Order: sequence, then C-alpha cells, then structure tokens
Amino acid sequence: MPYTPHFVAVLFAAAVLAGFFGALLGVGGGIFIVPALVLMFQLPVKIAVAASLVSVIATSNAGGSSYVEQHITNLRLGMFLEVFTTIGALSGSVLALYLREWVMLLLFAALLLYMSWTAYVTRHRDDQRIASGGYGSAAPDAWSRRLELSGRYHDQALDRPVEYVVNGSGIGASVSYLAGVASGLLGVGGGVLKVSAMNRYMNVPMKAAVGTSKMMIGVTAAVGSILFYLAGLIHFYIVAPVALGTTAGATVGTLVMNRLRSVVLKRIFAVLMLYLAYGMLVKALALRFHILLPSLGS
Amino acid sequence: MPTPPPNSPRLHEAPANVYKVVYSALLWGMVGSTVLFALGVLRALSQHLSISLGPAPQWGWAQTWTGLAHLDPTALMIAATVLLILTPVARVAVAFAAFAVDRDAKFTLVTGIVLAVIVLTVILGRLGLH
Repeated sequence: MPYTPHFVAVLFAAAVLAGFFGALLGVGGGIFIVPALVLMFQLPVKIAVAASLVSVIATSNAGGSSYVEQHITNLRLGMFLEVFTTIGALSGSVLALYLREWVMLLLFAALLLYMSWTAYVTRHRDDQRIASGGYGSAAPDAWSRRLELSGRYHDQALDRPVEYVVNGSGIGASVSYLAGVASGLLGVGGGVLKVSAMNRYMNVPMKAAVGTSKMMIGVTAAVGSILFYLAGLIHFYIVAPVALGTTAGATVGTLVMNRLRSVVLKRIFAVLMLYLAYGMLVKALALRFHILLPSLGS
Repeated sequence: MPTPPPNSPRLHEAPANVYKVVYSALLWGMVGSTVLFALGVLRALSQHLSISLGPAPQWGWAQTWTGLAHLDPTALMIAATVLLILTPVARVAVAFAAFAVDRDAKFTLVTGIVLAVIVLTVILGRLGLH
C-alpha cells in the first residue's frame, strides 16, 4: 500500500479524534483506535491492537507525567497494582498471539458494550465523600497497612489536602489483573477497570485513582507491546502517525475535559461505542460464519 | 478533617526523589519519541515508499544505529517505538533504584517483581511465542 501524505493525514486525523474522545471520556484512546483501524482502514485486528498499545503508552506518558508532577499519583499504590496488571498484560498478549481474528473482534465488541454501559451509568459523588472525610476515616486492610499504600494529594478545585486510607487490596489486585489481560489482549489501557476498582473498592478518591491509573497504563501497555514487537506485529509506519495523533488528541482532550463535565457527552459516547461494537460484531460474523449483516456505514 | 482511627497507617508518601525522577523519565521519553516519530514520518513521505502488512522488519541494533545515522525512516520509527516502550520500563527501573537507595525493602521487592515480569516478557518474546 502506498505511504502517501493522504494516507498518513487520514490515519493521523483518526488518531487525533480517538485520543480526543478517549480523553473526554477519561480513558485512553485505545477503545476508539482499534475499531477505527479495523473498520476504517481494514487493518488486521492484531496489527490494530499492537499499534493501539504503543499509542496507549504515548498517552500514558503525556497524561501521567502531569499527575506525577502534582503528586496526585499514588506511586506506592500504583506500583503495588502494577505487579498484577503486568502479569495480566503478559497473559493477555500471549493469548492475543494465538486467538483467531474473529474471536478478538467479538471480545472487543463485548468490551465496547461494557464501556458503553459504564459511560452511561457513571455518576461521581466524590466531592460529598471528600467533604464528609469518608476517604480518610476508613480502616486499612492488612496489605495496605504493611505496604503503607494510603496517600494524600492537594485538590486544587477544593483547595485543600485530601487524605485517604486504602483498603480492598484483594479485589483491587484481582481487577488490576483483569485490566492487564484486557490491555494485552485488546490493545486498550484498561484504565476504566482500574479507576473504578480503586474508587469503588479501594477507597481512593477519583482524581488520585485517575492519576495512579494513568501511570500504571504505560507499563501495562509496555509489556504487551514488547511481546507484539518481538512477534513482528508492530508496524512502525502505521504506529508513527497513530501515536503522534493520539498524543495530540489526548493532550487537547484532557485540557477540554477539565472544563467540560457533561452527562450528555457521556451518553453520546455510549451510543458511539454501541455503534462501534456493532461494527466489530458484523466483521466477526462475516469472517467466521460468512453472515453478512448491514454494516451501517462502519 | 476527622481524626484517622487508631489502626490507620502512617500516610507514607513515596520519597520526593522518586516523583522527580519518574516525572523526568516520562517527560523525556515522550519528547524524544515524538520527535523521532515525526522525523520518521516526514522522511518516509519524502521517499514515496510503499508499505506491506506482512511481518514487521526485525532490525538489529547495528542496523538501527546505521539507519539512524542516515535518517532512515524505518530506523527512526523503530527507535521511537523502542524509546516509547522503554520509557515506562525505565520509570519502573528508576523507582526500583530509588526505593533501594531509600532502603525500602518492601517496595524494592514490589518494583523488582514488576521488572521481573518485564524481563520474562522479553524472554518469552525472544523464544518466539508466535
């Protein structure tokens, strides 16, 4: 295929949009990049997953560094959970090397359906919990106490320090492993799973959970990328515009997201992900069973 | 601010030097890979190349270095990809070193396990898991 300015520009623009939408939703761009590469550019899903994973590292570096600088990231908690996400990523990427294309498409469609549901039902009641001191007064579990996982950060919006006691380490570790599997297998960051596990089950305020997750995503995606790189699945000429575009889109998206917290926006994305899930399902059925459903333009 | 219960742990932040080194590693990795990717794309476009979707080229270090010296687009993009992948790995490695310097045995072990998983991934990849 000729490597023309037009091809590069369209790839770059699709990646900018994927990174931008991903950041608006508070996730990496992977959830949009893989369907874009598969449905728009007709790339094999494993090449799309590999390209997406590398761009996920780029967005993690870009977004993660600012959270680290502001000390919002809980490094100790992040590194503890990284043990489980990296083992998960290794399992997921090994699985990806052996799974058939149509199975991966079906799994991705299922992930999109889950994400669509999550985007639709997410509600943040963080501020009330911070104000009531709920995060600081919980009891830690044994792992949290031994490894001193609890933390604090300065919340700029509330202009006060927020302390929190980490608990629920077991469930956090289990969900982190699953997030790692999703990352290695499907080329996403798995941030949604990690953030919701930390916020819901580990008593970590939303901002600290997002900052910690952003940092973890990089090393999780690196594990999958190493395996895909050595398997010859990383196509550098595809990866380059995708990584550049995602980084640019995610950077702008993160800036916009801080001013924009619209439930309507999340609902629009919920519908968009349903649409992409349908596209991936259509492709999977066509590949495996030769069933041709209407593509609805995807 | 309510008083933490008696069984609450000491709120132990990672040492400041860990934050500083981690931040620098992430920032420089990002800047370096972005520049290399952009340069690679520009060089590729100037050469009117065709790409195939077969197995990606596996270049050795020597070939990559020589390619970089000649601003070869494949070499530039390989270097950018490797730098990007190594950035979070380097971040774990510097955290491992910083925790070791601070004699934090538990977190030296935790970050050591993460590094071990990364090394295992490289070994499995080298063994040809595909």
